[in-house]
Amino acid sequence: MGRLFNQMTRGKKKLFAVSALMVMSGLLLLPIFLSVSAVASGGGAPAGGPPADVVAAQKAGEEGEAEKVEMGRDIYYKTEGPVIGEGAPVTADNETFYPRYNFESRVLLWVANQQHLYYGSFVLAVPIFCMCIEFAGMVSKDKAMAKKYDQLAYDFIKISLTAYSLTAILGGILIFTFLTLYPAFFGYLSSIFRPVMHIYALTFVAESATLYIYYYGWDKMREGVLKWVHLSMSVILNVIGTVLMFLANSWIAFMMSPAGVDEQGRYLGNIWHVIHTALWNPLNVHRILGNMAFGGGVVAAYAAYRFLSSKTDEERAHYDWMGYIAMSLGVAFLIPLPFAGYWLMREVYAYRQQMGITLMGGLLAWLFIIQATMIGILFLTTNYYLWQALGRMTGGERFQKYIKYLVFILVVGLLVFITPHTIVMSPAELKAMGGQQHPVLGNYGVMSAKNGGINAIIMTTILSFIWYQRGNRVPTVSWAKFGNIFMGCFFVIAQLNNVWLACYGYFIPANVRIGLSVPQVAGTLSCLLLMTPLNLAMLKNGRQLGPIRWGQIPPRSQYAIIMLATAFTWMMGLMGYIRSSVRLFWHVNEVMRDNSPWAYTHTIGFAANVISFNVLFFWISIMFVFWLGTLGAKKVPVPSPAGQPVPSPQSATGH
Amino acid sequence: MVELMGRAIEMGWPVLLMLVGLLLYFQASISDPVKKKRASFQTLIGIFCAFLAFIAISNYVDNFEANSGLLPVSLVMITIMTFVMGLYFPNISALMKIGGFMFFVAAALSGYGNWLPQVEGGFPPPVVKLDFQSMSPQQLGDEGEKIIFGGIGQSKTQGAIGKGQCPLCHGFQQGFLSERAPNLFGIPDRATERLKEPNYHMDNAAARNTEQKEAFEGSGTATNAQEYIAESHACPSCFVVTGFGVKGSNDTVSPMPKIHKPPISLTIGEMAAVDTWMYTREGKESPAYDVIATSYEKFIPEADRPAAGGEEEAGGAGGNLLADGSEPYDKLFMKAGCPACHTIPGIEGATGKVGPLLMEGTNAPNRIKDPGYKGKAKSPKEYITESILDPSAYVVKDFPDNQMPKDFGVRLTGGALSKMVDYLAQLKEGQPLPPKE
Repeated sequence: MGRLFNQMTRGKKKLFAVSALMVMSGLLLLPIFLSVSAVASGGGAPAGGPPADVVAAQKAGEEGEAEKVEMGRDIYYKTEGPVIGEGAPVTADNETFYPRYNFESRVLLWVANQQHLYYGSFVLAVPIFCMCIEFAGMVSKDKAMAKKYDQLAYDFIKISLTAYSLTAILGGILIFTFLTLYPAFFGYLSSIFRPVMHIYALTFVAESATLYIYYYGWDKMREGVLKWVHLSMSVILNVIGTVLMFLANSWIAFMMSPAGVDEQGRYLGNIWHVIHTALWNPLNVHRILGNMAFGGGVVAAYAAYRFLSSKTDEERAHYDWMGYIAMSLGVAFLIPLPFAGYWLMREVYAYRQQMGITLMGGLLAWLFIIQATMIGILFLTTNYYLWQALGRMTGGERFQKYIKYLVFILVVGLLVFITPHTIVMSPAELKAMGGQQHPVLGNYGVMSAKNGGINAIIMTTILSFIWYQRGNRVPTVSWAKFGNIFMGCFFVIAQLNNVWLACYGYFIPANVRIGLSVPQVAGTLSCLLLMTPLNLAMLKNGRQLGPIRWGQIPPRSQYAIIMLATAFTWMMGLMGYIRSSVRLFWHVNEVMRDNSPWAYTHTIGFAANVISFNVLFFWISIMFVFWLGTLGAKKVPVPSPAGQPVPSPQSATGH
Repeated sequence: MVELMGRAIEMGWPVLLMLVGLLLYFQASISDPVKKKRASFQTLIGIFCAFLAFIAISNYVDNFEANSGLLPVSLVMITIMTFVMGLYFPNISALMKIGGFMFFVAAALSGYGNWLPQVEGGFPPPVVKLDFQSMSPQQLGDEGEKIIFGGIGQSKTQGAIGKGQCPLCHGFQQGFLSERAPNLFGIPDRATERLKEPNYHMDNAAARNTEQKEAFEGSGTATNAQEYIAESHACPSCFVVTGFGVKGSNDTVSPMPKIHKPPISLTIGEMAAVDTWMYTREGKESPAYDVIATSYEKFIPEADRPAAGGEEEAGGAGGNLLADGSEPYDKLFMKAGCPACHTIPGIEGATGKVGPLLMEGTNAPNRIKDPGYKGKAKSPKEYITESILDPSAYVVKDFPDNQMPKDFGVRLTGGALSKMVDYLAQLKEGQPLPPKE
C-alpha cells in the first residue's frame, strides 16, 4: 500500500486521498443518515411521512377494520398523538419485576453504570484531544515540535484504543445487569426507544471502524495530503462519538424529564419528542465538557505514572510534557463546566421546581457542600502544580518568594467558600442550635461572601498561571513597565472589589445580595479574559532567561496531577449520583414508579463509600490498561529538544 | 479486631498459605545468603500486606450495610499496604505509590462524606388504591378515623391528627371542652335538631343572615341530618353555630375552611369515610355510601369536586412527617396545615381566621419588643422558629393559648421549617409579596 502511494504522482495522490476520504466518510455515515431520516419520520417509514405505526393505525381506521385510533396528550409538549404501545408497567416489590441476588440490586447497577460511563467518557474525550494535538502538530512550523505533538496524539489514541474494548465489555455487562435485575424497567425504556436503538448500534459500529482505521493508519498516512485525510478522520470519529453520546444521554434525560409519552407512559409516535426532552441539551453540553475534563485527568495520570516509573531523562522529559498538556486541557474544560452546570440547574428548576429544591435546598443539599469542597481542592492542587512547574524554568525562582501570600489567600478563600450559612438539619439539631443558623458560624457564609471566596481562589489561580507563563521570560516590549503596573493595579482592584462586595453583602437584604455575584464574577472573568492575553502580548518576542528543563520537576508535582485526576473522577461520580438520585422514587419521573425495596435515597456516607469504590475500581482497572499499553511495541519517545522555548499558550495545546 | 482478623484469615488463607509456601521454597532454593535474605524479607512484607488487605476487605464486607462509617478505615488500611509495598518492591514502586495515594484521597473523601450529617430519604409512601364505594361501614369508618386522626385507634390519643386536620379545632370526645369549634360528639342526633333552629332557615336559604346563603346558587339547604353534615363540610359559612363564628362577625362567617378545597381537599369518598366514622363510633347505623355521596354532590358542584383518584398516600417511611421542605411554598404550608387556622399572604387557600395573620416581617420585631414577651428570640427569624416549635412561648393578644399543635418540631424537617421561616419573615405590611421560588 505504501509503495503504491510512493509510485503515484503527487497530484494523483491528492485526488486519490480526497476520493478515498469521501467514499469512506459516506459509507460510515450512510447508515446514520438513513436512520435519522427514518427517525424523523417515526421509524421505518419513508422520510417525510408519518410514522409507520401511525400509518398502519390510520389505514386500519380508514378501512374500518380497527377501532378508532386512541389519542393521547404528550405530558411535556402537550401535543396530541396516537397511542402506540403499552403504558409504563406498574411494578410491585417481587421477584418478577425485581429479580435479585443477595445484594442490593441498585448498587450493582450503579457500579456497572458508573464503570461504563467512566470508560465511555474517556474513549469519547481522548479522540477530541488527539484531533486538537494532531492539528497543532500539523500547523506547527517547528519540525521538532510537530513530531512531538504527533507522537503525543499517537500516545493518547493508543491508550484510548486499549480502553475502547473494555468500554464495550462494560457496556455489555451494563445491559445484562439491567436485564437481569430490572427487566420491567429496561423493557419499558427499550419499547420507548425502539425506533432509535438500531441507530445506536450502527453508530457504535461506525465509531469502532473509524477508530481502528484512524489508529492503524497512523504510519501509513503520515505525510502530505494523507496526513490531512488522517486528521479529517479524527473529525468524523468525533462527530460519530458525539452522536453516540447524545443518544445515550437521551435515555437518562427521558428518565428525568420524560416527554413524547402520555400520563400513563404510552409512546405517542414522535421519537424526536422522546429524545429532545427538557433536560437533554443541558445534559449534552455538561457531559461533553465533563468528559473532556475527565479525559484530560486520566491521560495526565497516565503521564504521571510513566514519569514516576521512567528510567531515563528522555522518558521523564516526554511524560512531564505530556502530563502538563493533558492537565492543562483538563483544567481548561473544567473552567466552563460550572456555567454548563448552572444552565442545567436552571433548566431543572424550570422543568420542576421541586426537583431543583431537592437538589439545592433539600435532601441532596449536603452533597453540594462536598462538591464545593472538591472544587476548592481542585483549584488548590492546580496552583500547587503550577508552582512546582515554575521550578523547572530558569527564572521561575523569581516568583517563589511570593507563593506564601498566594497560599494565604487560597486557604482563606477556601475556608470562606465552604462555610455554610444555613444547613439541612433534623428538628432536634435545630432545637439544640436554637435556630436555623449556628450561633457563631451563622454570622458568616452568606452568598456574597462565598462568592468572594471562590472568586479570590480563581483570581489567584489566574495569577499563578500568568507567573507560570512568565517563568523563563521577561517582557521586552516598550510598554512593559506600564503593562506591569496596569496588570498589578487591575488584579489589586479586582480583588479589592471582590472582597468589598463580599463584606457589603452582610449589610443588605438577601434578595439584593444575590445581585452582587454579577460584579464579583465580572471582575474574575476580566482578569481571565483581559490579563491573560495582555500577558501574552507583553511576552511576545520576550527575552528568554533559560530553557524549560522538561523532566526536572519534583515527583510530588506528579502526585498533584494524580490528585487532580482522582478528584475529577470522584466529582464525576458524585455529580452523577446527585443527578440520578434526584428522581427519588421514580424510575421515569412521574411516569414509572420505583417499587423496588431500594426506592429510598441512601445517606451521604453510603453514597460517598460507593463513589469511592467506583473511583478505585476504575483506577485499578485503568492502571491495568496502562500496564497493558506498555507491553506493546514501544515507540521511542522523541527526545525533548534541548533549550526548547516555552511555546505560546494561545493554542489549545499550550506548552 | 480479633474477630476481624479471624475472618480475614478465613477469607485469605489460600493466598497466605501460598506466600508461606513461597517463603519456605526460598529457604531451600536460594543458596546466596544475601539474595535469600532479601527474598525472605520481601516475602514477609508480602504476607503482612496480604493480611492487611484481607482485614480491609473483611471490614468492608462486614460493614457495607451495617455501619458504612467504618468503610473508609478499609481504604486507609489499603493505603498503608500499598505504600509499604511501594517501599519494598522497587519494580512496582510507582504503581503502588500512585495506588496508595489514590486510596488515601478516596478514603479522605469517603471519610468526609461519612462525617457530614447523615440524611436518608425515606421510602416513598406506598400508593394504596382505595375503593370507598365497595367498603363495609366498618372499613369505611376505619378510613375515616385515619383521615381525622392519622391512624386507626388514634381517636383517643391526645394531639393525634390526620389529613383532615379536624382535631385542630373540633373536640370529638364526650365532655371535651371545644372552644374554637363545636364538639362533634353526638352530631348524628344533633344534626336533626340544628335543622330546626330558627337561624337555619331550612328550605329558605335567602332568609339566612350569614355572608354565604347557599353552598352554590340553587343548591338549597339541607333537609336531613346527613345533608346537614355534608353542608357543614362543604359550606361552613352557610350556617354558623352560635358562638363559633369569626370574632366580630356576629356568627355570620365561619373560621372553618371548606373541606373539599385546599388546603385540606378531601374527596367525596374521604368525606363519606369521615361521616361514617362519626356514626359508627357512637354505635349508630350510618347511611349507605351512596346516600352520603349524594348528600355531598348536592352541595359541591361537579367542577369543584377534588379528583377522586381513589389513591391515598398511606403511612410510608415519612411516618408522621408532615413536610420535608422539598415542596413548593403553597404545598409546604398546606401540608403543614397552617392555612386551616392562619391567613398567610401569598399562600393559596391560606385564609384561616382561627390564628393570627402571619405578617411576620412586620409582627415579629414588634412582638420581641413587647414587654410581655418572655421568649428567647433575638431576631424575627428566631421568633418565628420559636413560635412554630413552642407556640406557648408567646401568645398573641386575643388568641387563646394551647390551640396550636406543639409537635411541629418532630413533624417538620429542618429544611421545611427553615423554608417556612424564610418565607414568613419576608412578609411585611405595605410591601410586595416575596417570590415563591
